Amino acid sequence: MVGAMEIYMLLPKTNCKKCGLPTCMAFAVGLLGREKKIDECTPLIEEKKYEAKLKKLREVIAPLENASETGLIIHPEKCFGCGNCVVACPVNVAADPTHCGVGLGPESDKVILKVEDGVVVSNNLQECRRFGPNKILCNACTATCPSKAIEFV
Amino acid sequence: MVGLEVSIVTVRDIFQDEAGRHSRFSEEYRSKSAVIILDRQDLGSLGAKEGDLVAVENDTGSVIVAAVASHDDAHPGLAIMYNSPWSNQLVPEAVCQSSIPGFKSIRATVQPAEGSAAVTDISEIFSRIKG
Amino acid sequence: MATCTGCSLLCEDIEAELSGGKLSKVKNLCRKGHGHFQSAFSERTVPMIDGKKVDLDQAIARAAEILRSAKSPLLFGWSNSTLEAQNVGISLAEKLDATIDDTSSFCQGILMERILSGSIPTCTLDDVRNYADVSIFWGADPSSSHPRHLSRFSYYPRGDKRQKSYEEERTCMVVDVRMSATATLCKDYLFRVPPGGDAEFIEAILSVLEGKIPRLGDKKKMIELGGLLKKAEWGAIFPGLGMIYSLQDNMEVFERLIARLNEITTFKVIPMAGHFNMRGFNELLREKTGYINRVSFEGGAASHGPENSVVAAAKTCDAALVIGSDPLSSLPFGTARALARLPLIAIDPRRSLTTDAAGVVIPAAISGLEAGGTAVRMDGVKIKFEPIIKADLPADEQILSRIMEAI
Repeated sequence: MVGAMEIYMLLPKTNCKKCGLPTCMAFAVGLLGREKKIDECTPLIEEKKYEAKLKKLREVIAPLENASETGLIIHPEKCFGCGNCVVACPVNVAADPTHCGVGLGPESDKVILKVEDGVVVSNNLQECRRFGPNKILCNACTATCPSKAIEFV
Repeated sequence: MVGLEVSIVTVRDIFQDEAGRHSRFSEEYRSKSAVIILDRQDLGSLGAKEGDLVAVENDTGSVIVAAVASHDDAHPGLAIMYNSPWSNQLVPEAVCQSSIPGFKSIRATVQPAEGSAAVTDISEIFSRIKG
Repeated sequence: MATCTGCSLLCEDIEAELSGGKLSKVKNLCRKGHGHFQSAFSERTVPMIDGKKVDLDQAIARAAEILRSAKSPLLFGWSNSTLEAQNVGISLAEKLDATIDDTSSFCQGILMERILSGSIPTCTLDDVRNYADVSIFWGADPSSSHPRHLSRFSYYPRGDKRQKSYEEERTCMVVDVRMSATATLCKDYLFRVPPGGDAEFIEAILSVLEGKIPRLGDKKKMIELGGLLKKAEWGAIFPGLGMIYSLQDNMEVFERLIARLNEITTFKVIPMAGHFNMRGFNELLREKTGYINRVSFEGGAASHGPENSVVAAAKTCDAALVIGSDPLSSLPFGTARALARLPLIAIDPRRSLTTDAAGVVIPAAISGLEAGGTAVRMDGVKIKFEPIIKADLPADEQILSRIMEAI
């Protein structure tokens, strides 16, 4: 997954503050956290000399745009469908203790993670512990994945 | 070019298994099966890089497969292949008392494939078996 | 609910939605199981004799003819067939004075023998979920081979005595030559052994358990492992092919380790059987003959030995019936070549190198998907299942019965 430094390298690095942030590094962090949009860096959009950087930046940022509100990204092509995350997710277990809790596929509609057609899919992301004002950095799903098919940005 | 002596351990891979369940005769199964995972230094010592074709050979047989660089800690001399008709071209029949073939202890030599060489095709393997 | 026959976990919580005879959405199947279910829709076989399409009756008649005229036929495969089919298969072998062997012959056979005879203690996977605080995958990579093993039983689920599960109460360890997908989940507890080094590794554990300093390997790591094993309340070991192939004739040393561990605490062993009903065949044949595989009925009585293994018998038999297996892909070149030169009958739902080489091909329904029956999970639990797709294809059991009638 792309990091702030990699994004920074693709910015003008002039610290012009036109985006409203004091430095290009801060803007890079903003992009990574999806609080800022590329278009807010007007020099990058307007000045022709940044054309190549802009193109590359759009490529590296693209996966972030698919991230859910919690920052969860699933890479189905890497997923084993093993269900480790389904069984480890504390929200899943609380929502469906008699299935997810004991290792079976969920029957409740309230779960976040379930396996369909051989790969994991997400629903009800508003229930994720990483969501909302009381969010915590739970990593049960990513820590139990054998193939890095789930990550948070 | 002096070949690199390796000991090959065969393992399972879920993506290769999936491709094989779809079709043993597909390009996908071939591309996922006909690979050898080599220690990075070993790969370098062959003057090869990831994706280059290599000839893997021993007294039992030979195949041309794509080299893959290992992401594991250094394991010089140890190579990994996925259990498949390609790896089985190299498995010796010599058996111990329990009559289990040496699927996980295949001695072989690896060297860069000649320029014109292509990955061994399943039809080639089949005709070797049919004799 | 459907049962997945993609591996020996036989997951029973599969929900499949069908539309127009195809699977539109399937819940809870892992990638491997999904590949298995989808395989119903590609590369299906049709009845063939010498490469020409025939009808089923002709193919069955020819198969019977080949087997009838053979002096010492080999019947091989079996681990992807139901108990019902295996039962007919063993009767067929008896009737033909044939040699019968299954994939356990080059898989888990030498360990399974010890499990079924009781010389190594075992348990069910449900026991593992309920009681185990230590799970050890030894020469096995379940994330790749039995993807739901950790989530259903051995690491992540909550169990009766393990409500806090992997977060606080369970430890998972891997013994392997490499950093496998499973090992990435418990990196601190990956114990590396060199290829073929399992016997020495066991000797090192045994000496650590005696309070001695091991002569080999990373001493600190071995002492740590010894401590973890002693501290375990209820341990489970899952040996894979990595351990089996490494120990081979030396399986006794593993038996010694398990006996020693059980003097200290509880340790159970479940072999990581590959195909969905390998254990079923082993149990059934053992019940009938006293042996789990490699049996010859020549002369009317059952005899057992390495000469009856598929690897050896491929060279000495004069015809072979292969069911639900693709030995031309999965066995060494020399064995594949020996099989390919025989009058060969392949009973398989799907095209393979073996069906391509076979003189007679008989298509079968896929067990679990298109045919019902019973199978034995890797831990010995019997599981009965019903088909979910209606296919106009005979099950293995029916094909074998018809061949038997025709002989």
